[in-house]
Amino acid sequence: MKAHALYGAAGRLALGLIVPLALFALWDHQARNGGANAFAFVSAAQVGRALRELLHSGDLALAYGSSLKNAFGGLFWGSLAGLLTGAAMALVRPVDWALTPIYHSFRQVPLLGWLPLIGLWFGSGDLSKLIVIGLSAFYPAVLYTYEGLKGVEARMLEVGQLYRLTAWQTFWTIRWPSALPSIFTGLLQSLAFAWIATIGVELLFPSGFGLGTVMQHGQLQARLDIVVVCIVVVGLTGFLINLLVSRLSRHALRWRAVRS
Amino acid sequence: MSGGTPSAKTVVTMASPLCVLLLWHGLTAARVFPPEVLVSPQAVLAAFDSLIRTGELARHLGESLQRLLWGFGIGSGSGLLFGLAMALSVTFSRLFDPLFQALRQVPVLAFIPLLILVFGIDEVFKIVIIAKAAFFPTALSTLDGVRGVPKAWFEVARIYRTPLPALVWRVLIPATVPAVLSGVRLSLTRAWLVLVAAELIVADSGIGQMMEMGRQMFRLDVVMVGVIVAGVIGFALDRGFVLLQARMQRWRPPATGAAA
Amino acid sequence: MSIDPRHSAPPAQSPLRQTGALSLKDVRKHFDFKDRALTVLTGFNLDVRPGEFLSIVGPSGCGKSTLLRLISGLDDAYEGSITLDGTRVAGTSLERGLVFQDHRLFPWMTLEDNIGFALIRRDLSKVARNRLVRDHIALVGLDGFEKAYPHQLSGGMTQRAAIARALVNEPKVLLLDEPFGALDALTRVHMQTELQRIWMAQGSTMIMITHDVEEALYLGDRVAVMQAHPGRITHIVDVDLPHPRDRASPLLHRLKDDILAELTATQAGRGDSVVHLAHRRGDAAAG
Ligand SMILES: Nc1ncnc2c1ncn2[C@@H]1O[C@H](COP(=O)(O)OP(=O)(O)O)[C@@H](O)[C@H]1O
Ligand SMILES: [Mg+2]
Repeated sequence: MKAHALYGAAGRLALGLIVPLALFALWDHQARNGGANAFAFVSAAQVGRALRELLHSGDLALAYGSSLKNAFGGLFWGSLAGLLTGAAMALVRPVDWALTPIYHSFRQVPLLGWLPLIGLWFGSGDLSKLIVIGLSAFYPAVLYTYEGLKGVEARMLEVGQLYRLTAWQTFWTIRWPSALPSIFTGLLQSLAFAWIATIGVELLFPSGFGLGTVMQHGQLQARLDIVVVCIVVVGLTGFLINLLVSRLSRHALRWRAVRS
Repeated sequence: MSGGTPSAKTVVTMASPLCVLLLWHGLTAARVFPPEVLVSPQAVLAAFDSLIRTGELARHLGESLQRLLWGFGIGSGSGLLFGLAMALSVTFSRLFDPLFQALRQVPVLAFIPLLILVFGIDEVFKIVIIAKAAFFPTALSTLDGVRGVPKAWFEVARIYRTPLPALVWRVLIPATVPAVLSGVRLSLTRAWLVLVAAELIVADSGIGQMMEMGRQMFRLDVVMVGVIVAGVIGFALDRGFVLLQARMQRWRPPATGAAA
Repeated sequence: MSIDPRHSAPPAQSPLRQTGALSLKDVRKHFDFKDRALTVLTGFNLDVRPGEFLSIVGPSGCGKSTLLRLISGLDDAYEGSITLDGTRVAGTSLERGLVFQDHRLFPWMTLEDNIGFALIRRDLSKVARNRLVRDHIALVGLDGFEKAYPHQLSGGMTQRAAIARALVNEPKVLLLDEPFGALDALTRVHMQTELQRIWMAQGSTMIMITHDVEEALYLGDRVAVMQAHPGRITHIVDVDLPHPRDRASPLLHRLKDDILAELTATQAGRGDSVVHLAHRRGDAAAG
């Protein structure tokens, strides 16, 4: 039974590796034997060399650190502002009425579409980056905080009424905890969007020194090996961030029944 | 727990965007900021008017929308097929799942330098990047939608000895269409976002190029027209899709969900 | 002793407690439902004596839950008067506890936090608060589960926890809205015994709604029978047996048959619930 399961897992892994390996072999072959677009392909060895080079010079660490700083700075301010805005909209009705149309009309503009305008206003330095990344984290934070706080069940609020809780006590013991799952979902989205926005902003505003900047330089110098290294790092980071947040939220929401 | 009357709500909802406009107007009329920093609403209107009369806006928009159509069509179409194949064939899923999951982690924008190196900066690059953006949400939601059809419904069909065509037409498709459509909707939003970003980076034509040129020439009025048009188009695309969605699934209770 | 067609006055016994006398006089309640008024209760009179266990049975939709919401103060849009020990009921109060039909424990709180929730508005020291919570967890027999979340408890246990939360303030009146409705038959029987024990230990006035006539009779000093359209009490049955009771008692069985006959007779009399199967089959064949 156990051996069979193990065999199954190994077989599945082998199957899953076929396609990536085949693609990899094709790519490597193209790079070495020169096809129609040979200049566009780099061999695995070259990518490995680029990675070593970037690690050695410390460029990768520097760029990575700077990108993370941008992403988390934007995430912090954006989701904090989003949390407060969403909560104000959910709890104070006139605020809801006044902000909902404005929120929805601003949200229609594709995020990076703000860049030229913000570039004109705030230059192409770190402040502009922070604003756009913050904005990307702001939208989901507002939406999910609002829906979470608005979605509290009336029957739960009634229990608070029965035991004569004040508005403040009701907020902290009932509204907030029951909104938390939604708020965590929003945070997860904010995080993902902040990371995407960071890369986009760095590609478009090549000032400073982030992963996006390194990719941009790699592209200009036709160094595909560098570009590939950066893509892998960006992808891995996105994956790790998701993992981290879902672990965190699972811990904070351990009161929920585990669903299979 | 009683709030304001509906009329109070309407008043506030209508007044708040007006207040923003008035504030904007007031700030420019009082010359709080120099015109290079904040142009007046009238100037933006004038720029809009001249962009329309010279046919420039129509040309940019036409190019952008054509790209969107191709990229989105190819991307979400192949995403649909891919998702179906993943859901229906275990072997296919085992072959492609690892690659699919890995690529999913990388933000689309990070692929821009790579795709520029491989495809150059021509039309092909833009269509490929839009297609890539549209591919994943549709593929993922199709996969989830088909896999998520409850077993219980198949059992109901077996009890009534439902023939296969009827099973597909009456059960399988209605059960999966909502999930697939919400994925397609997300694909459309993503495609528009990435299109604008790509046009900002490789500025040769399209609405993004118009904004980028405006920025480089310090034409704040043109940039603002671009921001507004990009927002309105994004809104119209999404609304149009939601209307279509509503027509295709009239049996569902109206949903108020919003795509992030 | 049988169904007494006159609204029997509460039997004159020496009251165990001085407080907890609830009195409803000519209570009327309607809902505005799509711009027409739906009358749920009319001319509703009821006197509950201190320390009494009163059961209420009635068909579904006759206004039983509405009645408890009025007494608890969750809903105070009504006409007539509801008084507790002579004071008019206004809004919710810790003097009147309520166990909901669904347990309504907060999923994000542990058992002890859920029970402590009822004490938030009480000015108690931490020690006193903890002792109250611990005592009431013990009272409903849930010792050892203090740190458990609701999803880790069985149906019977969550219902007990809900009862502990309602009792922790030692309310003068405890209202129970079909507290065991969602439990299986065996757990139900067990919970009924438990509730009887708790009531005898606590001695507060209890009003329990149920659709189970046997349960109503087993626990109640009196059983009020309600009818719908509009909701009112048609009979009050005295159950003249000492607690704790024996389920096999012949008196309980006789009373049960009487009440069931009463309830089903009026149901059938309304006509709309009678379905003529033969007729329908004929229609189907013809069509
Ligand atoms: N909030 C409400 N609005 C309108 N009608 C209500 C409301 N609550 C209850 N009702 C109506 O009042 C009647 C009695 O309901 P309820 O007290 O819940 O009955 P039950 O005896 O089954 O507990 C029902 O017809 C129900 O439809
Ligand atoms: Mg009820």
